[in-house]
Amino acid sequence: MSEAIALDSVSKRYGSKTIIHDLSFSVAKGEIVGFLGPNGAGKTTTMRMIAGFTTATSGQVRVAGYDMATDNQAAARRLGYLPEQPPLYDVLDVSSYLRFVARVKGIPRATIPREIDRVGNACRLETVMKREIYKLSKGYRQRLGLAQALLGDPEVLLLDEPTAGLDPGQIQETREVIRAFGEKNAVLISTHILPEVTLICHRVAIINGGRLLAVDSPAGLQRASAQSNRVTLMATGPADSLRTELLAIDGVNEVSVKQPADNSGLLSIDCQTDSRDDIECEIARVVVARGQLHRLQREQPTLENVFLRYIQGGTA
Amino acid sequence: MNGVFAVYRKEILTYFRSPIAYFVVAVYLVGAGYFFTYNVFLTGTATMTETFLNMSILLVTLLPIVSMRLFSAEYNARTIELLMTLPLAAWEIVVGKFLGAVTILLLMTVGTMIDLIPLYLYGNPETSTIAAGYLGFFLLGMACLAVGQFFSALTQNQIVAALVTVSVLLAFWFVGHLEGFQATDNMRSLVTYLSFALHFGDFVRGLIRSEGVAFYLIVVGIALTLNTSYLRWKR
Repeated sequence: MSEAIALDSVSKRYGSKTIIHDLSFSVAKGEIVGFLGPNGAGKTTTMRMIAGFTTATSGQVRVAGYDMATDNQAAARRLGYLPEQPPLYDVLDVSSYLRFVARVKGIPRATIPREIDRVGNACRLETVMKREIYKLSKGYRQRLGLAQALLGDPEVLLLDEPTAGLDPGQIQETREVIRAFGEKNAVLISTHILPEVTLICHRVAIINGGRLLAVDSPAGLQRASAQSNRVTLMATGPADSLRTELLAIDGVNEVSVKQPADNSGLLSIDCQTDSRDDIECEIARVVVARGQLHRLQREQPTLENVFLRYIQGGTA
Repeated sequence: MNGVFAVYRKEILTYFRSPIAYFVVAVYLVGAGYFFTYNVFLTGTATMTETFLNMSILLVTLLPIVSMRLFSAEYNARTIELLMTLPLAAWEIVVGKFLGAVTILLLMTVGTMIDLIPLYLYGNPETSTIAAGYLGFFLLGMACLAVGQFFSALTQNQIVAALVTVSVLLAFWFVGHLEGFQATDNMRSLVTYLSFALHFGDFVRGLIRSEGVAFYLIVVGIALTLNTSYLRWKR
């Protein structure tokens, strides 16, 4: 896969304040990457540097192989960008607005109506094509912003909060549009919605304080967060020996056994483990050998927990 | 040039789908009509000289309302992020917007030509003087719009953009009055050369001097170049 977006040691300073520190990552063609970070982490600044709205103070940003510092016009022809607030001209109607963007993108005049129909259908705008933009609901405004970014089938798509303001049905449809687009092109999505990342992104980049903390697949990040794996059980048996034998299992780091408040004899056991795939089977075997297993549950860390650990502690 | 035309078309659509263009053109035509009626019918002379001078002051104070939104509105609506990330060079944005505003000026200019009908029906005006006056009027308007567009690029507040533009344009209009206060010939020449009003006076009297034409075009060139450089610097 070739790199459609490449950031190489990119920094951005405003006066003496450094907003982005030495950022390096890439997005390949056919890949959807989620860009995660709390407010003020530097996501929008990074998106703006990739889009060419602002330039990097140092380092290199390449889009579709073009250096944004020297060749941003060529890069802009291959880029679709939806900023955090959809950039819409309220007094224009939807179709005039899309025609304006299509013309500037250099789409051949003869194919503009077809192209507008294509993105209009993809973003479910068919019924509002002649409506003035100031009359549109927030959901339609967001979808129109996405439609203008999709015009011309760009090689690279940058989306800042693409599903903000949409209802659940619209979110689902928009994700499908992005997923279909990402099959052959490169997509970078900045979002706060973590399930979105898990559902549609191949990889995740976590940023905080202008520094890149991690880049990996959602599953990879969850696996890497070893300390967060947890196995909880309800079982009967001798509490002390169960605790000792469970701690003896390779990969079990911590065990707490709570006696029942009632007379049921059911112990509540909580094991902190590493990320080994079959560890719960070993735990079950030990418990069954000593008593009766009533319930076992393995909890893997959610991406939300992984994200919070990264932004609070710097590492998972 | 494709980008210039696309921006120009967008500007024209934006002007005519908001009340501002209609308002400015209407106020201007009413004002110009009043001056024309007063100067021609009450004085009984078939000349546009006084009317042009009155119209020019109206132009200098009204055009900042046309130019104030050119960039400030883009900043406010965050559409500047779209313009600056589309495959458009900064100069294409600047020129496309300027041509859009000049189209409004053209409408204002052409609109006042209705005044010429009674002038030619009941009098014997000098066509060359009137033509020179209209040329001067149009060039003055272009210079005002270019200056206004530059100040609009500096702020996201449209009112501030308009007020600063009016102040600067009035300063350039009246700067010639400072001629008598200058100690040296060089300074006298400078304040005279910088005066929008003195150059315009030549056109109104029927004199199309290359110096006057060049002056207004240089002002346009400088303002649009500063505008383009500012956009590039902002990036």
